[in-house]
Amino acid sequence: MTGADRPSVLVVGVGNRDRGDDGFGPAVVRRLRGRAPSTVRILERSGDALALIEDWDGMPSVIVIDAMAPISEPGRVHRFDLTDSPLPIGFAPSSSHAFGVAETVELARSLGRLPQCLVAYLVEGEQFRIGAPLSSAIAEAVEDVADRIVSEILRKLKAKGKRLHA
Amino acid sequence: MANKTLRVDYIARVEGESSLELHIHNGKVGTVRLSIFEPPRFFEALLRGRGFDEVLDIVARICGICPIAYQMSGVHAIEDALGIQVEEPIRALRRLLYCGEWIQSHALHIVMLHAPDFLGYPDAITMARDHGEAVQRALALKKTGNDLLRLLGGREIHPINARIGGFYRIPSRTELASLAEALKHARDEAVETLRWTAGFPFPEFVRDYEFVALRHPDEYPMNAGRIVSSAGLDIAAADYETEFIERQVPYSTALHSVLKARGAYLVGPMARYALNRDRLPAEIRALADEVGLEPICRNPFRSILVRGVEVAYACDEALRLIAGYEPSSRPFVPPEPCASIGYACTEAPRGILYHCYRIDADGTILDASLVPPTAQNQDVIEEDLREVATAGLDLDEEVLKAQCEQSIRNHDPCISCAAHFLKLQMHRT
Repeated sequence: MTGADRPSVLVVGVGNRDRGDDGFGPAVVRRLRGRAPSTVRILERSGDALALIEDWDGMPSVIVIDAMAPISEPGRVHRFDLTDSPLPIGFAPSSSHAFGVAETVELARSLGRLPQCLVAYLVEGEQFRIGAPLSSAIAEAVEDVADRIVSEILRKLKAKGKRLHA
Repeated sequence: MANKTLRVDYIARVEGESSLELHIHNGKVGTVRLSIFEPPRFFEALLRGRGFDEVLDIVARICGICPIAYQMSGVHAIEDALGIQVEEPIRALRRLLYCGEWIQSHALHIVMLHAPDFLGYPDAITMARDHGEAVQRALALKKTGNDLLRLLGGREIHPINARIGGFYRIPSRTELASLAEALKHARDEAVETLRWTAGFPFPEFVRDYEFVALRHPDEYPMNAGRIVSSAGLDIAAADYETEFIERQVPYSTALHSVLKARGAYLVGPMARYALNRDRLPAEIRALADEVGLEPICRNPFRSILVRGVEVAYACDEALRLIAGYEPSSRPFVPPEPCASIGYACTEAPRGILYHCYRIDADGTILDASLVPPTAQNQDVIEEDLREVATAGLDLDEEVLKAQCEQSIRNHDPCISCAAHFLKLQMHRT
């Protein structure tokens, strides 16, 4: 694999398919498979969030998709550039015992192990019941977020191509 | 000091939700309550009526940190009931699987949850700015442990590959050998982590615990052995309920387990090490000596060193098991259900985990009894807190609260398991 076609973008869908709207991230990455360019690495993660630091090691650009507790309207999608700043208070859940995505991002920032560009797409979930499918409002957001991510990836790759040929 | 109440509503850096309440009356510590307010999870009732072959997938869900412990106590108890003896390669793979869980669970607790207490940081994220190398080592150790779990268990969280009689799929020698290099590196990371923690400031604090752990004729205990104690207890797992009893307390959703004859007792790394140091290889004992860990450690604040020794041992043991691995001719012994009862105790990272199942002739679970390590350590944790608070009555309230929280984290409580925990309330009246 040459430098030009080595994966330069990683897309990670975080969540548990069997916990209602927590399956949003995995649903989006499934939709992206076959649509995203072959130089994009696509992962689904449901376990230890700390493993994300290993997942994005050496990857210049990373997009993380996750579900969050509702704060305004279930199905509403929020996009954050986390490269230089943490998730705003209210979007970063605090846990007494587990390292979630927000804590993992900040730990990586402390360690100097953040990618050059880190973007998060978060959807407000409605329910996280065991065995439940995605709620209709959240399911409707899957295609929209997949489209936005494909556009974002194409813009990133185009910019990279311009740099390579400059 | 006047009468006062100290309260910590949510104790951080433990597995699960709990709170602590301390009542100080006329300068003396009165009531000490470690309240676990995770909802009761009713796993024992969930297991009734299910098939014996469903147990491992259900009990693995009890804990995201120590699912292997639940699967191992479950598999041994049901195999005890059904009269199954597995071949040596299967036994070796189960021990290797347990090594993976000890490595990832201990590494997480030592560096990410416990070390910030000693170094004065609110959390590992803040600590990482000044101690990045130590945190990187912990991440690498955790990854190696998780890699072992993924290969043998199918996935690192709630693994799926263990079954009654063996495994659904056993790895090839080549697959296991692929982890050897990472484990050698992890062994070095474990030693460096242990040396780093040995430089922490440890309070002078000694408790006269009754230690309870497994003891095996040849091995540092993981999957097998008799239940022994520093006060002379020496029983088979089948006699656990003769000697120990679980009782309800009104302020907690977790049961408290005590020795019927003597009350509180301690399980976990300190107990394992105190009762089984002679079962560790000479190199690991030398490592413990190098960092000044006494043969019997009675200072719970120094439990972080014992965990460090156990991580190094688990890496060595995993390498030994991989080097000697010869795949079994069959991945599992086919189980035949029969009306019976089975018992087992294995060493979870946090201490002995007891399981008992009564099964009917068609393999349906009639009764299940599970006693996790944290349920067994709760009385000891409360007794520790009473002594820490008594010694620190004149301290600033926030300093004393921090010491009390650290005292709880000494035992790496897994609240989710116990409720099957932490806020601190200190009442001064």
